[in-house]
Parts: sequence; C-alpha cells; structure tokens
Amino acid sequence: MVLITVRLPQEATLEQAVRRLGLSEDEVDTGYGLVPLDPDEGLYALRVTEAAGHRVAPDGGGPFSDPPIEPFGPPR
Amino acid sequence: MRVLIQLRPSPDIVAAVAAPDLTATTADVTGELPGVALDHDFTPVPLPRVRPAIPGGDPLSLNQPLDFSMAPEDASVLVRGEISDDDRAARTALLPGRGGSVVGVYADPVIETSLTCGGTPPVGTWRDVERLLAVPRLTADGYDGSGVALAICDTGINAAHVTRQMGRSFTIDAERSWSPSGVSETPGEFPVDHGSMCAFDALIAAPKASFIDIPVLLSRRQGDTVMDGLLSDAIAAFSHLRTLLDAQPAASRALVVSNSWGSFSPLWDFAPGQPGNYSDNPAHPFNIIVGSLERAGADILFAAGNCGAECKDRRCAFPARPIVGANSHPQVLSIGGVDTKGLRVGYSSQGPGRLSDRKPDVCSYTHFAGSKAFGPGTPDSGTSAACPVAAGLVAAVRTHWPASAISPAQLRTLLYRTAADRSTVGFDYDYGYGIADTPALLSALERRAAATAKV
Repeated sequence: MVLITVRLPQEATLEQAVRRLGLSEDEVDTGYGLVPLDPDEGLYALRVTEAAGHRVAPDGGGPFSDPPIEPFGPPR
Repeated sequence: MRVLIQLRPSPDIVAAVAAPDLTATTADVTGELPGVALDHDFTPVPLPRVRPAIPGGDPLSLNQPLDFSMAPEDASVLVRGEISDDDRAARTALLPGRGGSVVGVYADPVIETSLTCGGTPPVGTWRDVERLLAVPRLTADGYDGSGVALAICDTGINAAHVTRQMGRSFTIDAERSWSPSGVSETPGEFPVDHGSMCAFDALIAAPKASFIDIPVLLSRRQGDTVMDGLLSDAIAAFSHLRTLLDAQPAASRALVVSNSWGSFSPLWDFAPGQPGNYSDNPAHPFNIIVGSLERAGADILFAAGNCGAECKDRRCAFPARPIVGANSHPQVLSIGGVDTKGLRVGYSSQGPGRLSDRKPDVCSYTHFAGSKAFGPGTPDSGTSAACPVAAGLVAAVRTHWPASAISPAQLRTLLYRTAADRSTVGFDYDYGYGIADTPALLSALERRAAATAKV
C-alpha cells in the first residue's frame, strides 16, 4: 500500500474521496480511512494499493512511501 | 602548548622525588627554565630508566625483554609547563642546552574519556539530569507542566512502572489518548518498553504535565509491498493531535509532542528524487502534517537518531546525512544526545539534516540510570531518551507561556539563543546550538515577561 493525498471540502468523508478519485473499495484501506493533513487547506491522506496510487495520483498527490519506523533506543 | 619536560637532576633530588614520604616540588627539581611557564601545582614524577634486558638489545625497541631501574643515579624526573605557540619549535630545540639537566621535551596533549556508546554503562542517574535541568528552580518558579498536554508517540506507557521507578504518580489523559487500528490496550497500561522510558524521562522536568499516550510504534498494519509500514499511523496520530489542539482554548494552547523514532534505512523508502520519497521530501504527507500541527501551535520534538559517526546503531543504512524526514523538519526541534558530563554520545546523529541543513537543533541528556524500562543497570539511552528529556523542559516552559504568548517558532529560537554552546562559536553539526540550558532559558523568559509588562 502507498499514501496519496487529495483536496476535498472540510468534513469530507472517505466515500467522497473514493468517488472523487474513481477508486474501487478493494483498492482502499478503509480501516485507515480519510485522514486530514491540513484542515485549513482541505488536504487529506488515504492508503491505497500501489497500482491505484499510480493511477489516480499523478498530479503531485502521490503515491508517497509509507516506510516502517523504529524507536531510536537503546542503540544496538 | 603544554609540555612535559624530562630532567636528570642530581641523584639526591631524584631520590627525594621518588621517596613516598617526601614531597619534592618543581622548584626543588629545577630552577627557572627560560621560555617555559612551569606548572608548580604539578608534583614532579620519577621516571625509571629503561634498558634492554639482554646485552646488545635495541635501545629503542619495546618488543623485547626490558629492565626498569628507579635507582637515583638512573632515574629521571618529569615536570610540566607551557611554552608559547609562536616559536615553540625553537624553544623546544633550545631547552636541552639550558641548565644541563633537561634531557627531553614532550607534548602533553589533551586527553578525554572514551565517548559513551551503546552497551556502555550509565553515566550518572536521572537525579543528575534533574539537577542539570535545574528542576528545583523550575519548580520554585511554578514551571511544572501543569495544564500542558504532553504526547508521547511511542510504544505505549506503563504508568504503574513509571510511578514505581520515579516514586511519584502522574496523569495519563486516557480520554485524549489514541491508538492505531488493532491496538487494544488501555492507555497507560501497555507492557513496559521504550514508551515507558520516554514518559519517565519527560516527567523529570514536567511532573504535572498531562500525558497523552500514543502507541504509534505498536501498529501492525500490513499491506502487500515492502513499502507498507507505520508512518501512515503516525500521520493518523498527528491528525488526532491536531483535533485535540484545535479543541483547546486559543489563549491557553499548550501541546508538546515527543517522538523518539524514525527511519534507519533508505531501503525502506522510495529513492531520493522520486516524488513519493519520505526522507528527502518536504511534500510527503507526514512532513506536511508536521508543519500543519506546528503552525496550529504544537511544539514538536524528534530524536536526531543514533547514527553518529563514532558508534552508530548497526541498523543505520544511510551512507551520509542520517537525520532524515521529519527528524530534520525545519519546524521541529531535532534533539541530539549528551551524557551527564555534557559530552556528545558517540551514537548521536550529526548534521546536516536532509529537510533542513541546520540539524540537530540542540542537545539534551541521555545514557543515564533512570526508568529501568530495559532492566536494572541498563541506562535510558539513545537520542530516544534525550528527546523526551527536552520535551519535558519545553512542557515546563509552556506552564506559563502558551503558544498564544510564544509561538513554537519563537520558543525554538529562544532555545537556540540560550543553549550552552559546545563548539567554537554558534551552531555546529555535532551539538547544534548547544545543550538546552534551563537557567539561561528562564532568564530570557523573565526578560521577556518584564518587556511585555512594560508594553
């Protein structure tokens, strides 16, 4: 899965995002949902399959990596 | 330049230097040496004569049996002094000809203890950190974190363990805490791990802060490619924190976010230059939401990382510039680590950062005996410990200075200006602007309060 971003009106729903982007339900991590990044700018993130990410987000909205993160201690 | 001067005075003087019940001084050993400022506080040291044990041996080789003689007619004496740097070659060359007893002049270089690395014992305790952070003064001035939300984004907090180790209780704000999908434990009741260490370390300076438990590192969200992972859960966590911040009254907003985690390897990310890359890309959604949360009034701190040149964590895979992604974001405080002696720990990542050149910003304390989250005798270590120590200090400041009075950017600048510089002058890539300095910070805040009162 990858991350993509989308601009939508405030209080937007995942259904609105899916419809706007032309995604099918099995291409989206519905458990993750639609996450506001910058409410003032109407910018949201969602997780989609890599293929869908490349298809629907070619204009600067992704696809973005979703790398693992680890604690910085104790040093190994 | 500091030098050691080897002299061969008369045997009775040598005997006096070597005798345990006598105390010969530098003045006893030698008169004034022209061009040398002798250090009369240094007690002369007897030095044995060394000879090959086997006749005919090489007098300059240590790779053979040797005899050492401390007999007065054999031994020599070392004294200490300083010669001018301007003409030290000439003075050093001339010294053996002065007074007849000088037989050698040697450098006396500065020596330091070995750098603290992973696996080395604790350097001091959390009580030392408490003293270094001037917590009694913070407390006396009412800077204790009261009314301040302090989010620990980590592996979850075990409040009972932290309370037991610290000997005092604290507040977990369960209602405002948040967990990623699939994490079901109650806030404050997670297994003892890294997150409990972070909470303990933040409590040192902010005992009355209200802790928000965000176990983002416990996420087990998986997908179908190597790029699946946890950063998306950090995005969701920061979105939750933004909601909390927006719900606080604007006049008293105070949210401090401590993040002791990051990315160790470029293999986990899209390649630099690809538009979807995280490590080098300010347009990545996580870097966007970090900027958005900061602009709304949150103080965001990230550990600089454990990829310092001297003893980096073995997971470090960035070939250079290991402070990556949000850990190098211009709107966060990137925290390097020093031990309780003020020396940078060898694993603390050095700048420049990838999103912002001037990283780390400041250093704070790590590698001390504290939470025992990893067992008795194991220190709170990594820049993982330094970050919440600094977050506690920021939370303490916020007790009286909400974001409406000092914006996160202004507070960062105050921390830079008041940090105890550890380099020649100003910023450097090892210590940033220096070690966060509580008394200097409080003095700056007092001046600011006085100036505000006049207006």
